[in-house]
Order: sequence, then structure tokens, then C-alpha cells
Amino acid sequence: MPVVKLELGRFAAMVGSDRKTIVEALPFVGLDIEETARAYVRVEYSPNRPDLGSDFGIAAALKGVLGKETGLAKVGARPSGIKVFVDRSVSRLRPFIACATASGLELDDEDVRQIISLQEDLHNGLGRRRRLAAIGLHDLRAVVPDLRYGTAAGSLRFTPLGGAREASLKEILGSKEGRAYFQGAGGRGVPLVTDSAGTVLSVPPIINGAATAISSKTRAVLVEVTGPEERAVDEVLAIMSTTLAMAGGKIGSVEIVGAKGRTTPDLTPLKVPIDLALIRQVLGVGLSEREVSDSLRRSRLGVEGGSALVPRHRIDILHPVDLAEEVALGYGFQRFTPVYPPSESPGAFNEFQGFLDDASTVMAGEGMIEMMTYELTDEKSLYSSFSRPSRNRISVQNPKSAEHSVLRDSLIPSLLSALTSNAHNDYPQRVYEVGRVYRRGAAGVEESWNLGCLVAHSQAGYSEARMFLDALCRTLVGKEVSAEEAPHWALAPGRSASVGVGGQKAGYLGEVKAEALAAFGLGVPVAAFELDLSSIYKQLK
Amino acid sequence: MAALSGSEEGSLGFDELVRASKVEPDQARRGLTWLSSKGLVRTTETTTARLEPASRIPPELALFERAASSPDPQTMRQARQAFSSDAEFSAALGRARSLGWVTVASSAEGPALRVSDSEGPADLKGVLDAVSAGTTGSLDGAGREMLEDLKRRGIVNEVRTTSSSVALTGSGRAALSASQEGNGLDRMTPEILASGAWKGQKLRPIDVASKGATFYPGRRHPVRDFIREVKEAYVSMGFTELDGGSVHPAFWNFDALFIPQDHPGREMQDTFYIEGMTERTLVRKGVVDRVASTHEGGWLTGSRGWGRPWRVEEARRLLLRPHNTVLTVRSLSESGNEEKRVFAVSKVYRNENLDYKHLHEFHQMDGIMVGKGLNVRHLMGFLSEFYKKLGMRDVKLWPTYFPYTEPSMQVMGYSDAVKDWVELGGAGVFRPEVTRPLGVTVPVLAWGPGIERLMLLKYGLDDLRELYGNDLTWLRGRAEHAGR
Repeated sequence: MPVVKLELGRFAAMVGSDRKTIVEALPFVGLDIEETARAYVRVEYSPNRPDLGSDFGIAAALKGVLGKETGLAKVGARPSGIKVFVDRSVSRLRPFIACATASGLELDDEDVRQIISLQEDLHNGLGRRRRLAAIGLHDLRAVVPDLRYGTAAGSLRFTPLGGAREASLKEILGSKEGRAYFQGAGGRGVPLVTDSAGTVLSVPPIINGAATAISSKTRAVLVEVTGPEERAVDEVLAIMSTTLAMAGGKIGSVEIVGAKGRTTPDLTPLKVPIDLALIRQVLGVGLSEREVSDSLRRSRLGVEGGSALVPRHRIDILHPVDLAEEVALGYGFQRFTPVYPPSESPGAFNEFQGFLDDASTVMAGEGMIEMMTYELTDEKSLYSSFSRPSRNRISVQNPKSAEHSVLRDSLIPSLLSALTSNAHNDYPQRVYEVGRVYRRGAAGVEESWNLGCLVAHSQAGYSEARMFLDALCRTLVGKEVSAEEAPHWALAPGRSASVGVGGQKAGYLGEVKAEALAAFGLGVPVAAFELDLSSIYKQLK
Repeated sequence: MAALSGSEEGSLGFDELVRASKVEPDQARRGLTWLSSKGLVRTTETTTARLEPASRIPPELALFERAASSPDPQTMRQARQAFSSDAEFSAALGRARSLGWVTVASSAEGPALRVSDSEGPADLKGVLDAVSAGTTGSLDGAGREMLEDLKRRGIVNEVRTTSSSVALTGSGRAALSASQEGNGLDRMTPEILASGAWKGQKLRPIDVASKGATFYPGRRHPVRDFIREVKEAYVSMGFTELDGGSVHPAFWNFDALFIPQDHPGREMQDTFYIEGMTERTLVRKGVVDRVASTHEGGWLTGSRGWGRPWRVEEARRLLLRPHNTVLTVRSLSESGNEEKRVFAVSKVYRNENLDYKHLHEFHQMDGIMVGKGLNVRHLMGFLSEFYKKLGMRDVKLWPTYFPYTEPSMQVMGYSDAVKDWVELGGAGVFRPEVTRPLGVTVPVLAWGPGIERLMLLKYGLDDLRELYGNDLTWLRGRAEHAGR
């Protein structure tokens, strides 16, 4: 989750309250305190509240909760007179652009840091790593209106932000940023924003130009957002321009001229009907209309008639039910009293899960220790250690660790690994596991629950494993075990049997082959059996 | 100890002692350790060296015998056949020639071996015989030198063995005779019981303070037992247990929960998608279409939706469930508005690197309560009641965010074990975007906390991996009720 650093001195002044009150109130606007230091607090905010991505946004929310300033913060946009001409060439590339200006700013270094950090968070979150929205922040004084949004010529050269010298378009595309963010696959061109003097503002979503970079000397900012979808572009611009307004800027609108012509930013609040019955029902509190309106205002929403006025930077409010949480926050979560509704009907265990539990109890009664191994394992222990082909394996895509890349079809390999790591412990070792296994079937992935058992000590052999298997089946399902010689990939020929329970094939039993013991580095003989408990259970029904 | 009494004058070897006392070597060893710690016996270790008979015949002797075996001179080629390699053959030949036992002469069939001193190897044979007979002590100076040479060449091996012998000390003898006064029975037997011979007899007193042998009872896994506790808490509160598979299409894992298709949590970095398999039967009809329309524009739920096109291909991808809400929401889609309480305690899967606070497979205990009139306060009431059963003194809730609940809450519990608040998991009320497409119009309260965190507190562990390390020392040795 994204993080904002709150410099406490500065922040207390912004909120107009003392540090203690502030730190205590932070969790009640949904922020997680990640780190507290003498001079600062670092808080995590939820991805659905990108408007809390700077200390400006958090201060506005806190002022509401603390009752210092409630209701909608009025942010209007006056025409800046600036136009952006959108070239048709971007229509299939990255069709949407939205811009705003903010003037009259007096930014200090921390203001700039907060704004840049918000820009980065928006790129990664709402902007989905700049795919849905890329933001350019420019010093308006370095820009010669009007702007043009089109595509770059192959001969383009400019100095990128953070670069020391001019670079060609090819160099830009081959740079780290270019490789990470360029999405113009298919050679349809590279989007480009320039001013009327031909200065490069940005090559979205890759990089901005150095000529128009902002600093603490910047007094007026131009925000430019591009993307493939109107909604994300507008939402990102609404958050940027509202934050700049909170930082003291006067917002100016920009006219977008082209096929999708309009004026941005649109900061008119959205009207969401206040469904009193729904709010009361969800929260379980008979709040009056007045209490609901007050709570909404403390959450920095407006109230007009029967509707809440939701500012455009509050992108999390999708449905009238979202107002319930705003009311809860404004009213105070801590004021709700818990009520436990007793049940009118009895509960029930799942029968099959109970069966598995009983199988485990029987095995423990046989003197065995239960293990729990991972269902995702590796090719070596599952296949090559037994020299069996892996063509039917079920793999997961891009596992972080190769040790957990294949779904097991048997419990025996992971139990053998567990014995390897226990070689220093006393023998005999008799262990079992009741766990899920996976197979490739006609209908896709077939899952079943198996019981695997290993007996390991210097005298371990077939007949001991058979004794435990017989006892298990008699005790668990009252059935006799039949065994007939059959090869198995884990077992030694001649000491390998296919097992039937109540006349139906249900697993195998035998002595683990020496080749496998060697592959697992085990120095004692091991006898094993594995039963398909799912099919045994089905047979009972 | 009684077995030692027969050798009061001298001492007894360990093996003899085991035979005489009819106990297992392990038991005998433990017994002796105890006795010598009390000063009742004295153990002496002696090392003896013994020569093993020659493992193979010295090669020069083999060559000589080959040459002497036939009246005709052996060709070099014929002689070579008695050896496994050229190197061995030429070493043997070199030695036998320099000792003057054989010479090489030309013959009609090429170079051939001829015996030049038929009595040459007699001394060497004498040494070898002495080794076999164990009489090397009587060898003369030249014989000893030959023996040393054979040892160096690995033909004769010296084996050192250490044996211990045990003898009673003075106080041991005293203790033994004290215990044998009255000459009691060693142990009761069925024969003694049947014959009535026990009358007037006593059992010989034993040291009742001595430790028992190690024994490991069979045991279920602590995670299984904890899961059982959780299930019992649920069932006692009127909940019915759900069971279901681990592999589900993205549709039920994500789309049905109103998680947008480009949500970062759906990416491969976080989720285990199954390679090369999809749910082909999933088509945009019925509930799938209602969910899709809700994502795109809110459908009839009153929501704005995500305002983005929805792709059925993305919904068809198969994955290991990253949460158990997939089970509760699938069950909800079947029962609709029916009032109910269901839960599932089972594994979930996340594409994580393992470390002390992350596992790629762990357990969650999801539940939902469906019914008219249910609200946030009931959710809070349920959670405090539930966690009290699991040993949390107090529970509080913070606002937080999940895409499928509104409001959403983070559950914190006060743990007496660490004397602090700990994060337990998420909870909330299902959004209309989740319930309406499933045909549900009544409130659904939902939560899905993990269990491993609670287990660490219970067992005083600080590394999640220890729970699934399958270390027999822990599995055998941990106490069921350790107390605090």
C-alpha cells in the first residue's frame, strides 16, 4: 500500500491541531500508521482513496473528522485561455488528454516533494503503472501556449527530465523508462505533447521534458494527463488539481480541441442520493437526517436537498451505500455498540471434512506423527527423484520460488523431504499427512484428499506398513484391505502393491525404492502407503 | 547391577554384561551412566589392535605363482591376464624381477616369464601365514619389515577396537548386597502367579526414582487441532461448514467480488494462475452477464461500476484461491436470500516469497451471515463473541478498504500473550455490486481472517515457517497445555 510521510510540525499547522490529537485521529480516516518518529509519521492509505496521497489531502480529511472545517471544499476552475489541439493521430494510440493550470502558488521544498510523491502514487495505482494515466507537471512560465497533442517524428530530439543532454527518440525508447513504460506496440507512433514554440513537454507515458520541470521556484503549474480511457484521465486530473488548490493554487481550465473536444478539469461535484433507510439499515443505528448530514459534512462531502455532493477527487464513491461508510467515519466508528444476534438454528460440521479429521485421529492412534507439507512443490522432488516423467504436471505461472511451482499429485515426495530434514531426530520415524492432491483430468484440474504414510527405521518394510494400513481401514471404515503386486513409480519392484479397500482400488503400498531414498539423501529403509480418501468416502455414501 | 555381582573380583566386558543382564544395549548404557554417576561402578576403556588376514594376495606373489604354475614359460600376454590392469601387472612384474624371483626371456611366442628363484617368496609367505594365524609377535626383524610394507600397501589391515569393561566399586558392592537381602523376586510372572509361589515372597526393590525410557506418542498436527477449535467455535454459533476446491476460475475469485479486472491484486505477482488451463465453460450468460454488466456500468445495482470493458477471457483463467471468500460467495449464489450462516476454514494461496511473516500457503477462516436486518453492529457483535471463544480478550475495529465490502473493517484483537493489539483480518458488509448480481437483496456480513497469526501467539512462536517446518522435535515434544 502507498505511503505518505507527514512532517508533524508542518502538518499540525495545516490541520490547526496538536500532534497527539492528530496521531490519534489518523486511524479513523482509514489510515494505517506505519512508522512514528519524533518529527514525522508515515501512514499507509488505501488504494481506493488516492486523494489521501499527500499531506494536503490528509489534512483536509482530518479537519473534517476533528470538526475544524466541514463540508465540501469549494474548488472552482476559471478559464485559463489555454487550448490543447489534439491531433487525429493519437486517436488509436492514447486518445485522451486532460489539462489544468494552477497559479498563484508559493511552494516550498516539502510542498514540491508531496506533490511529486502524489504524482508517483497516482502513476502506480489509479494510473496502473502509467498505462491508464500518465501525468506531466510543468512550470507554466516555461510553456508558450497553445499546446499540441500528437505523435513524435522519428527525428525528435529533446532533453528528458533528469537528463543532462539532448537525447533522440530512439534513445528515449531504449532507456530504462522507455522499456518500462512504452506501450505503442505495433509501431503506430509515440505520443507527444509540445507547446507552440516546439518545446517538448512530455512523451507520455514514458517521460517528461526537462525544459518545463517544476521546482520550489514555480509559481504556476500546468498539469497534463493522458490515457486510453476518459474516466481514469479525468479522475487523476481531478485529484491533482484539487491537491494543487489545497496547496494554494488558483485552478484554471484548459480547452481541449479535437474529436473529443471539451473543457477540463470538470470539478462539478457528483450528486449521489442519500438513501437514509439504506444507511440506517447498514449501520444499525437510527440516525436522524441531521446526524447523517453532519456526518457526511465531517467526511468533507456536501449536502444539498436529498443528495450528497461528492467532489470529483473522491473516486471511491460508486454507490449510495458508500455514503454509509462516510457517515460511519463522520459519526465515529468507536460509537457503534456491538450486538450479537444469537442463532436460531444449530450449526453443522461438513461430513467429509469430519471424515478426514477422523482418519487423522486413527493414524495418531497408531502412534504416528502428523505432518503438514505444502501443496506446491518442485519438479525435482516430485518427478526427477523418482525418474518418472513430468508431462502431466500442473504448474503455476511465474512462481516467485521454483520450490513452489508444481501442484503435487502425491503426498509421498513431500513426506520424504520432511524425513530428510529430520534425519537428526530419533528413529523409528512414523509419519502421515492428510492433504489435498491435484491431477489433470478431463474436466480440468481434479482435486482429491489423500492420506500418505511413511515408516522409516533400520527394520522398516512392507509388512509393517501393511499392518498400519490394515488397522487404519478396519478402524476408519470397517473394511479389509486387498493388495496385489503392481509397479509404482515410488516403490521397489517386488515390494510394490496396488491396494483395494472394500474391493475398490484406493491406493498403493510398498517399500520406497533405493534410488528415491538416495535422491532424498535418506539413509534408512522407508515403507509407505497412500490412500485416496475422497474415493473411499464416496464409496461409503 | 546384579549381573556384575558374579564378577566381584574382576570386571565384565560390556557385551558380556548385556548378555548377562538380558536388557537392550541402550538400556544397559543408560543404566551404567547412572550407576557411574553415583559412584557405584567403574568403567575402563581398553583399545586393542588386531591384524586382519590379508585382503588379497600380494601382486608379485600372484605373478610368481602364475609363472610357476606351468612347466612351460608363460608369455607376457598370458601372464597379463591374471591382472585387472596394465598398471597393476607392470608393478607386480617390477617387484618380482627386482626381488630376483623371475626373469624375462625371449621365446618363440615373444617375451616370456621364467622362474629364476623357486624358493624366493618363502619369507613373504611365512609373514602372511603369521598374519592369518595371529602369531606376528614372533616374527624376526626382516619379517617385521615385510609386515610393515604389507600394511603400507594396504594388503594387511590393522583394526583397532575399543572395548569397555565395567566393575563394581566398593560402594557398589555394598549397595548391591543391601538390595539383595531377603533375596526378593526379580519380577512377577504368570507362572509364579499360577503356581502360587508368590506367597511369602517379596519383589526385589528397584530404584523407583530412575527415569523412564523415551517414548513418543502419535499426535495430530497442531494446525489441525487449532482448525478444529475454530470450527467448534463456528458450529456453536450456528454456522454450517462449507467444503470446496482450491482451484476456481478468476470469475468467482475476483469478478463476482467486484474486483476490477485490472486490479493489481489480480496480477501474477500476487496470484497463482494455473499454467495453460482455463474454465472454457464460463460464458457471458446469466450470473456471469450480470456481474460483467455491474463491472462495466453498474447494471441495476445503483452503482457507477468501473466504467471499463469487461473481458470473459480474464474471468476464465484458473487459479489457486487467494482467499476463501470464493467459497462463501459461491454458496451465496446458490442460496440467494435464504437466511444462513456458513463458514470455511481452509488453505489459501498467494505468490509470495517465504519469510518469517509470509507463507505462500496458509489458512483463512471465512464466514458469512445472511439475513434481513443484519448490520455493522451485528458484525461487530459476532466478531467479539467469536474471538472471545478463540482466546482474545477484546476486539476493536478500524475502518479500512476492501473492494467487495462497504463498510470495510480491520479487526484488531487484544492478546494477553503479547499484551498488545494484533491485526486479525478484514470484515465488512458485501457491496450491492456483489450481492445483487447473485440475486441477493438482503444484507450479507462477511469476514476472512487468517489463523496462523493466532497460532503463533498460542505457541509462542515468531516465525510462520515453523508451523509447517515439520520438525519432529517440535511435533513430538510440544505440550498440549503448556500454560502461560
